[in-house]
This record gives sequence, structure tokens and C-alpha cells, in this order.
Amino acid sequence: MSQIKKIHTQLINKEISCTALVQEKLNLLKQNTHNTVNSLLDSMALELASKVDAKITNGEEIGLLEGIPFGIKDVYMVQGTYTTASSDLLKNYKSSYTATAIQKLLDAGAIPLVKENCDSFGHGSSSENTIFGAVKNAINPDLVGGGSSGGSAVNVAKDFTAFSIGGDTGGSIRQPAGYNKVYGLKPTYGRISRYGLMAYASSTDCVGPIAKSIEDIRIVLNIMSGKDVRDQTTFSSEEILEDTVSNSSTIKTVGYFKNFIESEAISPQIKQDFLATIDKIKAKGIKVKELDFFNSDVLVSTYYTLAMAETASNLSRLDGTNYGARIEGENLKDTYSITRSEKFSEESKRRIIGGNQVLSQGFSDEIYLKAQNLRDQISARFSDDFNEVDIIVSPVTPANPPKIGESLNDPLAMYLSDAYTVGFSLGELPTLTIPKGTETGLQITADKKKDAQVLQFANFLNDIL
Amino acid sequence: MSKIMTVDILSSIKGAVPSESVNKLFDVIKNANQNNNANNNVNNNNVVSLNDLREDVVIESSKIEKEIIVENFPKEKNGFLVVAKVIED
Repeated sequence: MSQIKKIHTQLINKEISCTALVQEKLNLLKQNTHNTVNSLLDSMALELASKVDAKITNGEEIGLLEGIPFGIKDVYMVQGTYTTASSDLLKNYKSSYTATAIQKLLDAGAIPLVKENCDSFGHGSSSENTIFGAVKNAINPDLVGGGSSGGSAVNVAKDFTAFSIGGDTGGSIRQPAGYNKVYGLKPTYGRISRYGLMAYASSTDCVGPIAKSIEDIRIVLNIMSGKDVRDQTTFSSEEILEDTVSNSSTIKTVGYFKNFIESEAISPQIKQDFLATIDKIKAKGIKVKELDFFNSDVLVSTYYTLAMAETASNLSRLDGTNYGARIEGENLKDTYSITRSEKFSEESKRRIIGGNQVLSQGFSDEIYLKAQNLRDQISARFSDDFNEVDIIVSPVTPANPPKIGESLNDPLAMYLSDAYTVGFSLGELPTLTIPKGTETGLQITADKKKDAQVLQFANFLNDIL
Repeated sequence: MSKIMTVDILSSIKGAVPSESVNKLFDVIKNANQNNNANNNVNNNNVVSLNDLREDVVIESSKIEKEIIVENFPKEKNGFLVVAKVIED
């Protein structure tokens, strides 16, 4: 059921006022029961809500997204609001401009309620690497909310927001969506502008929606998509129509990676449930192919090598000179290093140091350039696979969400838990998590720019699972 | 030019040392098979065409944008924005 359409109908039928709706959500968020809130945008939200109410009272028509309350991962610029990236370094940083994707939602009349907790600079898979307290899982608060867009997925799952905008570099939308049993889409790289998204790893960073239905994912994706001169990796795309999504007859062949399922790391239950799902797909007359793919350790290592190199470069601007916290040292260089040493989290420092290691002279050929070569091989393999199959299905994670506090001490285990999500990021492919098929959901992936096909197959699976 | 810079200098992080966990990831890359025939154009789809470059024009920031940029500056004295002492070495 589309939350957006449900609220829209309630608003136009005057069953609820927009102000009352926004106030109700703000009251829920204010309690911050799951540590999902970095800052509330209450005065902005209530002001916008009163304008929507005035339009309805005057008998004016409102658009589908007008008055719909949503959440924003705290890595997006929204002019005049704090944008902390859940970091100590940017704890008091205010956005001077608004991200393109968010501006498009504001232009459509959606109402931003909250900047949402996440792993600092996207560095993490549990939303524990944050100065705002570990995000608690929506289903079992003893478990992690997932990450890095943990606050966004939990807010959607708990109905604190109608939808939220997350960011996905190596699985940061798809994994928390799976952990909290909601939908989360990483679109094709370049479909949505990254302008105003705080950069983690620019070559895989994607903006995407988290919501409670495929229909809501479709609506929000359509609004945010499009070419933007301020992000020259963007491309123009066609609107995905509701009718298109309900037609799955074009999908004849589905593939899955045999080695993902035969891996020692996968939990027996997730494996069993995944294979049962494959049987249900076969039973509907769809051909299923087992595919060979790169080992998980190669995928994870390739992804992290490149992501660390890119984040080391992107975060080098955070030195306390022009914005963010500054701790004065004896001179400029000393000021840089004291500020960065004290204000970056351990995980962010680990990634920055790793990135500088692989970019430094003597190591770049052996590690960084080789990882780039592996990425090319991975992309080429995807291209070959999509000549054979229309869709690739995969579990989202090898295991269930860990307890809060368990992952932070073992970074390698956390990196390896991203085994099933990072490959699709390296391939720049559109991938959706649906909260069905296994305990932590299923990933549905299509070839580049075929985001519509992902939604079609998701719709089909919704009917059979 | 051959000055060796350690990761703590490169990263501007005091006492920075490589992490064992991260090194394990790098070891996987070192030992992986390199394909010399890999299509090096695969990831170049995002290259912007010369015909598609944005206009090279100066876009003036809005008043509020300028105000917030100044507000974000970490240190101010007598109306001036203060930076750390610059040294040359």
C-alpha cells in the first residue's frame, strides 16, 4: 500500500490536516526512541504544512507529494539546516545550499521533518559509528539498525516518516532496508544527481529512496531523477509509469550467483529461504540460471580499496580551515593534523589512512590500479551476465543483524558483511531490496539504466512470496 | 622530490599507522588475478562529452548562502576570518 497515496487521499478528503499530520510525526520523532534523529526541522515543516492546509482550504488542487512528510539522511545539504554527517568534525556545520535531489522533492511539495542518523560520512554498516548514539533496529531494538542509512530505514519502518532519502555507496540503503524490513533502492549510478550529497566514494555514491511500498519508491525515484549540470555524471531518464511496473511479462530469465549461496559465511536459514524463493520463481515458469561470479573477498576488497582511496581524497578538505571544528596548533599543518586526529572517528581515520596507503607511491600500481582493473573485470562480467539473464536476485546480507556493540570491534567482519551489496555498486547497477524472501530481504538487480525492470520484478515477487 | 611521506603525513592524522584489518583486504587484491585484457573502457561511460560541458559562467551565490558560509567559518576576530599561521618548509 502506497503511504504517499494514502496520505494524499486523506489530505484532499480533509480527513486530516497537514499540520496535524506533521505535528504527529514530529512528536514521534522528538522522543527519539531509536536514535534516528540528528536534528528536527520542526519550524520549517510546520510552516510548509500550514501552506498546504491553506491551499486545501481554498479548494486548490495539490500535487501527489504535497504535504507528504519525509526524512533526510544527515549527509544531504538543506540550506540553513545542520548537516553533520553524524560526525564530530561537522557537528555545528550548516548547509549553505540545498542538494538537487532534495530540492526536487521540496519543489514537489514534500515536507522534510528530520535529518537522520547514520554512520559518520557513510563509514560503517551498522549506524554505530556516529556521535548521536547507535541507531536501534525497528524490529528488535537490541540489534543494529544497519548502515550507513540506518536512521532513515528505521524511521520508515516505524512510520515516523512516509519515506526517507538515504545514500548508498556500497549497500548503505539496501542493507538497512533489509535489516528493518522495508524497501530501499540504489538506482543506476548517475540517474539521480549527487550535487549536495556529502561525498564518500564519488564513483559509487548514489542517492535513493527508502519506503514501505514499491509504488512509493517509484513515485520518489521519478521526482528525483534527471540530468543536472551540477553533477556531470547524471543522465536523463524516462519517467517510470505505474502501468509499466505492473507488467512483468518481459522478464523471462533470472540468474543468481552460485558462490554467494555456497559461501561458508551465509547463515543456513538465509540460504534455505533464498533457495525456496528460487523454487517459487521457477514454479512460475521463469527460467533460472546459476551464474559464476567473483569471490566475496575479492568483491569486498576491490570495493573497499577504491572507496577508501576516494574517501581519503574527498575528506582531505576537512581540515578545520574554512568550516567545521578547528583545534589550533602551532602552525597550519599542526592545526590540520590535530583537528583531523581528534575530530574524525576511528573508522573514518582507518579508511582515510587505508586510502592514502593505496594511493601512495609504490603501492598504487600493486593495489589501487589493480583494484581498478578488477572493477573493470567485474563490470565486464555483469555485461556478459545480462546478455544471459534479465534479472539477478541475491540475498542482501549473509546473516541477520548483529547486536548493538558487537560489530565495532571487528572491522574486517563488518567489511565482509557487505559481501552481497558491494559488487552491484561497482557495476553501477540498479538494485532494490525488498523485505521478502529471506530474513533480511532480497536484492533485485537489472542491467544499467533498467531501473524500471527492477521494480517490475519486485512487483512480481511481491505477488508470489 | 624523492622525499618519503608516511601515511600520518599524507593523511594529516597524528600517529596514523596502517590497520591490520585493512591490510588483509589489500592482500586479497595483491593476490588476485589481474586480467591484462580487461576492457579498460568499461567504467569510462561517465566521461562527459565535450559537447555536453556546462557553461563556463560565474554563478553568483545568494546573500543567504554567503552569510552561512561566513557563519560556518571556525574563527573570527574584529570582523576578519582568521586562519592558522602559514609556514613554509
